Amino acid sequence: MDLTSALQRLASYRAKQSRASADIVKDGELVLRKAGLTKLGDEEWAFLEQLALAAIDTGKLDVADDITDGYAIQACLERLAAKFPESPRVDVLQGIRMEATESSETVIRYYNTLLEADESNIAAWKRKISVLKSSGDIKTAVQELSTLLDTFYTDVEGWLELGSIYSSCNQYTSALQCLSHAMILAPQNAFYILEAAETAYSAADIPLALKFYLRVVEMLDEPPTSGTTPSRPEGPTLRAWYGVKLCVRDLLTSTSTASQSESQTTPPSEKHLKLLDELSTERILAAYSPSSSKAGEGPPLGRETVVKWLENTSSTS
Amino acid sequence: MVQVSYKISHSAYTKLLFHAAKYPHQPVCGVLIGSLSSTSSSKSVAVTDAIPLLHHWTNLSPIMSIGLDLAYVYAKSRALDVVGFYQATEQLNDLSLSPVGGIIASQIRQTFTETLALVIDGTRVASSEAALIPFFADGDRWKKHPSGFSPYSPFELQYATSPARALSLIREQSLHLKLGDFDDHLERVSVDWLQNDQCRDVAFKG
Repeated sequence: MDLTSALQRLASYRAKQSRASADIVKDGELVLRKAGLTKLGDEEWAFLEQLALAAIDTGKLDVADDITDGYAIQACLERLAAKFPESPRVDVLQGIRMEATESSETVIRYYNTLLEADESNIAAWKRKISVLKSSGDIKTAVQELSTLLDTFYTDVEGWLELGSIYSSCNQYTSALQCLSHAMILAPQNAFYILEAAETAYSAADIPLALKFYLRVVEMLDEPPTSGTTPSRPEGPTLRAWYGVKLCVRDLLTSTSTASQSESQTTPPSEKHLKLLDELSTERILAAYSPSSSKAGEGPPLGRETVVKWLENTSSTS
Repeated sequence: MVQVSYKISHSAYTKLLFHAAKYPHQPVCGVLIGSLSSTSSSKSVAVTDAIPLLHHWTNLSPIMSIGLDLAYVYAKSRALDVVGFYQATEQLNDLSLSPVGGIIASQIRQTFTETLALVIDGTRVASSEAALIPFFADGDRWKKHPSGFSPYSPFELQYATSPARALSLIREQSLHLKLGDFDDHLERVSVDWLQNDQCRDVAFKG
């Protein structure tokens, strides 16, 4: 492993906000060993924050301790605090470090102090909610998060988190309401619509789930043009086509229960459902077509199982 | 009442641990497959393998439902049954079967009466004991089995060395990173989530 590529990887993890903690620690240790902090220039600070977070996440609280001029987490944090005194961001990092070893009461008290000093410190507020959640106090976590969203309505991450907490308590209708806020705030993001589709399905609102799934494929799947081979659906697109297939199967096979919709969504007519059934079958098979494997990737696997499943769920059988 | 005993193969045990280790900050779940053999006085379930399902949105049902369907199709093609459900949470000290986990386990129980549910015990993963907590159905509810994995309990590992071996495969060979679940497969269809031969422990048969 060489230094340049390690630095590049670290920068890319930061840009994508990937939680690749084990890799970050590995690359980070290499950077410390080969270059030391002084050679990093302005990148040093972002790097220290990244390394500290990753090391706490992987439980390596003594990261780089064995390197002569290396930095243990505490040293990372002290260096950041010296450079940016009273920075809310460094304060929160210090809190995250405490979360690794201190009791939830102590950490919540610490975050409360930060919030008393500056009630707009949204990062500290979110950490506090996260600690409440992991200590099992879901009720207070939901209350706090709702208050936070009253103040910072445009916080999409907050709405997604609240939705996810509701889902974990099987309150899918409330979860769906949170996702509808996320969709209003970021209508171009197909992932939120996909999550809404899966939440609507979990809430037993199949017509609404189908509508959301179709919206996702409309946004992501390339429409076939004449004369070219159809695209191969992958990632969220394939996931959505599987969802379409499932909803259509439910609507075609069971009589009244599946078409009930709390959101008053009207399911497509039987004729359209059958066409959607054919189309989703075709699109799923396209993803498993042996000739469609991409360069650098192996062939699609598990095709026979998928084909059998499609046969079992086919509306005509 | 006929006593039911369960034996977990090395392959099933390592896959469960790999799945939890690959996504430590997310809940994960999957199914157990195997077969039942019975005599007049006893029944035993051999859990021969595991199929990892989800690590995204584990509380939402459609992909779980499809993954479960596919696991059934696959098990049938191998002349095996889906015999149980497993999960691990993202909280180290949360060792209960989640409400959704209970629902899925009950659903599996409709096709396999001796269904077992396992929760991965994050606090014991690094020990040499089985880091699994067995749950059994009591009516509609799922209860922690009082004896757990211990000598003379109805739950045992086929190889007592599986926990230590799994740990060393994770720590020294990072074999857990090669495991793929159904969510991974939907992102890249070249991921072999049904068999996961790429992370099989070559030193072990079974």
